[in-house]
Amino acid sequence: MNGLLAGLAILVIGDSHMVTNGYLITTLHDDLLAQGAKVDTYGMCGANAGDWVYPTTVQCGRAERIGKAGAEIDRKPNVPTYQIDALLAKTHPNLVVIEMGDTMAGYGQKALPQAWIYQQVHALTSRIAAKNIACVWVGPPWGSEGTSFHKTFERVKEMSEFLSTAVAPCKFIDSTQFSKPGEWPTIDGQHLTASGYRAWGADIARSLDHVVPQLAQKP
Amino acid sequence: MSRWANGISRLLIGLAALAAVGCAHGDTASAAEGRLYPSGPPNGVAYLRFVNLTPHEVTITSSAAKIAIPAEPGQRVREFDPVPPGVELTGSAQFGEASKPIDVKLAANEFATAAVVNDGADGIAVMVFRETPSDFNALKSSLGLFNADKACTDAQLVAGENHQPVITDVASGKIGRRQVNPVNADLAVMCGSSGPAVQAKLGQLNAGDRYSIFVVAGVSGADIVAQRDEQAPLRP
Repeated sequence: MNGLLAGLAILVIGDSHMVTNGYLITTLHDDLLAQGAKVDTYGMCGANAGDWVYPTTVQCGRAERIGKAGAEIDRKPNVPTYQIDALLAKTHPNLVVIEMGDTMAGYGQKALPQAWIYQQVHALTSRIAAKNIACVWVGPPWGSEGTSFHKTFERVKEMSEFLSTAVAPCKFIDSTQFSKPGEWPTIDGQHLTASGYRAWGADIARSLDHVVPQLAQKP
Repeated sequence: MSRWANGISRLLIGLAALAAVGCAHGDTASAAEGRLYPSGPPNGVAYLRFVNLTPHEVTITSSAAKIAIPAEPGQRVREFDPVPPGVELTGSAQFGEASKPIDVKLAANEFATAAVVNDGADGIAVMVFRETPSDFNALKSSLGLFNADKACTDAQLVAGENHQPVITDVASGKIGRRQVNPVNADLAVMCGSSGPAVQAKLGQLNAGDRYSIFVVAGVSGADIVAQRDEQAPLRP
């Protein structure tokens, strides 16, 4: 680690990979804290990028973790969505880290819903860009095939390639580069085991350490 | 989006949804078992927009609603509305006593533009342009050349004083598309390689945005309608 994250205010948002203790809300958050960043993490289970822009509800819970405090997890159904504009105003970040992909990749569908994904992504990134805040988008990990989530390695690769061209002005971190397909076991095809979330969190933090010098940050 | 527009969008989607429910039971029930939440739009999504390329206001009507599309610049091209794929979307376009049916069924991820054009016989016709684009890129601009002029057999989009080709040989009723860098380009449309160049004013192109340039039959040669595309969000 080169210490470039020290002193940064980082807002981390994501999907269900952020809504359970031991997932990224624990591992990535802790890794960034350990590098001296001020970190706030918010997760919404099942949320698409547009759900952070257009108010709605999520069905399987949301969670938040502010600084060094523990995660507060709300599993009630129909819980209102966090809104990106409000989070930016509340946390004043220099950097926003977005972890999202599994909820939008159309697993089980014949074709990647490119137009819909692009619109979702653009809706979120444009709100962040409008405030001149640097951002990084973290794509999905490989997961496992043959489960009820219908996640396939081929679709994860396709989704990651698509996100790499769709998330600008955010920089893209390709999580498929961190492991081989199937190397990180899952509990359900999509969500990793504890060791997987430790590895994923550490790899994202290491990547941020390299990406941050390339970003124009708001002072 | 105007209240009328919202009305017809909901109407088309509403009519289609009844049919879609029937399809969904057969196609996706097994896929939904054991899943905490859907990944992507549950039944897929397609997009439909209406465009008025006539010199006068036209109306689009379904059994429950009617919208007017003015002929003024900036109001001719409506936004793409999300619609369910695999479902017949019906309506009609009217000008005065003339009426032409609209009947489209789209595949998932397909975009359709129902363009109302001037027709010599009774003053109105509908041309439906269909494409399934795969050039979404936040660093580039996407230009679509829609040839709605029957007399223009091979439309060309050119740039600069030397008429550098950008999109070439687009037959009437077809679309040509190309990604370009987001610049302030001096764009024009020609029919054939030696016809007069008619300016297509788009100004500074934005990275990540998509643009439509329509070639329309004018009084003395082709006219141009050019505008940035808008896409309504798909909400539950």
